[in-house]
Amino acid sequence: MLFLAKAALGVGATLALTAGYLFHEGVIRVDVDENRAGGSHVHFWIPATAVSGGLRVVPRHYIQQAAEQSRPYLPVLREVAKELEKYPNAELVDVQGNDQHVRVSVRSGKVYIDAVDKENNVHVSLPTETISDVADRLEDATPGI
Amino acid sequence: MNQLSRGFLRFTAALAVAAFALLPSVLLAQNSSKTDQWIHVRVENKENGGETVRVNVPIDMAVKVLPAIKHDNLHDGKVRMNCAHLNDVDLRAMLDAVRTARDGEYVTVQSNENDVRVAKNAGYLYIHVTDKNHRKSTDNKDAAAKPVHESKVEVKVPMKVVDALFSSGKDELDIVAALRALSSNGDTELVSVKDSENTVRVWIDSKNVTD
Repeated sequence: MLFLAKAALGVGATLALTAGYLFHEGVIRVDVDENRAGGSHVHFWIPATAVSGGLRVVPRHYIQQAAEQSRPYLPVLREVAKELEKYPNAELVDVQGNDQHVRVSVRSGKVYIDAVDKENNVHVSLPTETISDVADRLEDATPGI
Repeated sequence: MNQLSRGFLRFTAALAVAAFALLPSVLLAQNSSKTDQWIHVRVENKENGGETVRVNVPIDMAVKVLPAIKHDNLHDGKVRMNCAHLNDVDLRAMLDAVRTARDGEYVTVQSNENDVRVAKNAGYLYIHVTDKNHRKSTDNKDAAAKPVHESKVEVKVPMKVVDALFSSGKDELDIVAALRALSSNGDTELVSVKDSENTVRVWIDSKNVTD
């Protein structure tokens, strides 16, 4: 009985630590809803650590290929990500039109992109730190930027 | 003096030293948050369901990000003009003349089609243009021309921003330098365009949201 309790405590503590580590950078959230018959509904959450960590285990030639393609935009991405971290709460872009609403904002250190119209609802949120990590990783793969 | 009061004195002295050491950084932090300026753009279209675009960008962010953008004529935060002599007008010489001249109204044009006013006052350059788009009535030939679509453009730019804009090479506009000059200028209404279809407003203040 005592052994089982110890084992449960060990497993519980390991799970709590793993969850704490996985979610310490926050969560990337993607919600896509198509408002029509048979439209798709995609909802997923990924720990931001999975992206940062995943980029470290992806084969180098894939990262280099991605870095080459995004090369012209990397300096901008890096600077934007670095600067966004300084503005944890800001509404950057807001476009409201005929049944359409697009909004790009930063709240509590996360970038929110919301696009809503008659047919589609798209909501994406990701921590600014993740953008920095991705930019840094891609930059490391293409030295000389 | 017993050991307790000596210890208390030491603690107080250490606290005072720490307070004086931290004071400048606290003041600096307060100042930096006060000078956080944002550039706001608001475009309102009255047609097609009334589209509204609001853009709010911290000037510091723009200053850091602009040099990273390399596209067409934009490099290192500077826009290269193909020719400074636009339509045989030496823009730089003209601005030099305005900069060194006294405050006053330099250009006033009033016509049936346009009203133009260029003036300098208290360190600001004002450009006001009213475009009167006349449409003659087809039903009544005797009816006087009536302004149907009137558009007003009002630009107010601090002279130091104009100086900063033209501070780099001959055929270049230094956008980053102009933004830096703008951020040190405080709250300013820069551009206002009004016509029957659109309203455009560009201004600077320390708020991170549009009104």
